[in-house]
Amino acid sequence: MAPIIRMVGLTKRFGGFTAVDRLDLEVEEGEILGLLGPNGAGKTTTILMLATVLKPTEGTVYIGPYDVTKEADKARRLVGVAFQEPKLLWVDSPWSVLNWHAKVCGLPSGERRRRIRWVLEELGIWDVRFKSAHSLSGGTRKRVEVAKILVQRPKIAIFDEPTAQVDVVGKHKIWGMIRELRDEGSTIILATNELHEADVLSQRIAIMHRGKLLVCDEPRRLKDSIPGGDVVEVSFEGGVPEMVTEELRRIPTVVEVSAARQNQVKIYLNRAEEALPRIAELLLRLGLQAKSMRVSEPSLDDVFAHYTGLTIEEAQRR
Amino acid sequence: MMNPKRVWVVAERDVRSLLRQKSMLAMRVAWFAAQVAFFGLIANYMFREDVLAAMGGSYLEYYVAGMVVTMLYSTAIFIGYDVYEEADHGVVEYLLSLPVSRRELVVGRSIGSGVRSLLHVGPMIVIALYLTGTPSALQLSTSLFCLFLFAFGASGLSITVAAALKSSDRFDILMGVVDALAVRLSTALYPVAFMPSYYGGLASINPITFAADLFRWGAGLESALLTPPLLAVVGIVAFSSTFTFLGVALYERRLEGGGWR
Repeated sequence: MAPIIRMVGLTKRFGGFTAVDRLDLEVEEGEILGLLGPNGAGKTTTILMLATVLKPTEGTVYIGPYDVTKEADKARRLVGVAFQEPKLLWVDSPWSVLNWHAKVCGLPSGERRRRIRWVLEELGIWDVRFKSAHSLSGGTRKRVEVAKILVQRPKIAIFDEPTAQVDVVGKHKIWGMIRELRDEGSTIILATNELHEADVLSQRIAIMHRGKLLVCDEPRRLKDSIPGGDVVEVSFEGGVPEMVTEELRRIPTVVEVSAARQNQVKIYLNRAEEALPRIAELLLRLGLQAKSMRVSEPSLDDVFAHYTGLTIEEAQRR
Repeated sequence: MMNPKRVWVVAERDVRSLLRQKSMLAMRVAWFAAQVAFFGLIANYMFREDVLAAMGGSYLEYYVAGMVVTMLYSTAIFIGYDVYEEADHGVVEYLLSLPVSRRELVVGRSIGSGVRSLLHVGPMIVIALYLTGTPSALQLSTSLFCLFLFAFGASGLSITVAAALKSSDRFDILMGVVDALAVRLSTALYPVAFMPSYYGGLASINPITFAADLFRWGAGLESALLTPPLLAVVGIVAFSSTFTFLGVALYERRLEGGGWR
């Protein structure tokens, strides 16, 4: 399928500071692309260029067939953005914000009211629809920001930290509604520094750090790209015979084997799911009885650390 | 090409904000009524017959018409403060991301601010017309439309300055200076006959003079006019067009990139 978004050498500088540095990235129509990185990675600046709010210093983005540096007005009509910080005046109510947003996006009156009601009810903020923004909690204001795009249902929906400040129930609701939007044909860009959110929602994840794109792939493949990233811990009834370690090392995807305790080995390997039958077969062949086997796979934080040498938390602090 | 429907939706947002200003509106009407009832009436008794003749026979009528225009101007430039409030709340970025062109956005906001300002001074226009009377509905309608054009242009001016300065403090100071000069170097509050010639020259090309003259014409105070109505209309159209064009150009260039203070 042809990409619906194509970033070509996309760069944004503010004076001497380069916020986004020669970004080349394509987004397929109908996918959810997670844009992952710590604060200051360049995610929001990238989004603002996609939304034509900021002009690129160099390079460009094609939104559908439109080059944002030449046909920004046409490009803008395909995009909707739920910003990181809710964009509400203190005196606005959720209803007035959503009603005007839907109107400016060209939704006819009946459809507008129907969609707004549905989204407000789904997000659990129907009862506060006429309250002014200053009396709403941070989480509720965030839901109103997300609701704009769920009402608009644009061809390209961009969510910048969509569940920040939102409670667990609300998070799952928003994730479900984002998936529904994708299922209806929208392409989703999800900028987040929440690893779990990126992992559960995204079909591909682009990791950014200091304005640069480090890697972009499916979450599974990103995790598999860490050599020895999967860990299988095997505990035995008695001690661990020395030959077991040697035999385990012969399995092709195994990178390292170490004796964690007297009766336990830790196997560092790639694609644990493929190696598990061979490990079980080996233990059977050697007549060894395992008491337990535990498999753990690397997290996206491990992936980030693999590519940057820093955890996301460390990168945020810098 | 601009889409009139989208322009109106943008405008509607600013017009609706009038509903949030009920107490401010009430205070301004009270202030206006007091200004007319005390200052206007008393000043009327201070002038000689020949002076009053230069103002169409009544300073009260001259003054009340001029006051409407100065209030319309100060209400229209309020849109600049709205731009700063929106920048504070990040709403500028939101507006720039909407599926409307920059031109539709600036023109829509200028129209919205123009309509809002005209509605805001509506009660004052009623008071003024109660005192002056009006010769014909057509003349009054034409005059009110020109007042709208004036408010539209002043809104464009305010958006242009706000986008150019990106600093609410500087905007406040500059607009204060512009207000002081533009109102005082116009025939809004006193006729050109009593101004030094170098002031009179500036007053004769001042959009506030054009607007005041057109409102006086609409109210039947024709002997008090400095500019022929047609020329005043041309002046107001030129004023509105210039600042709408500048507003569009600057809004696009200056608002993208942040840096608001």
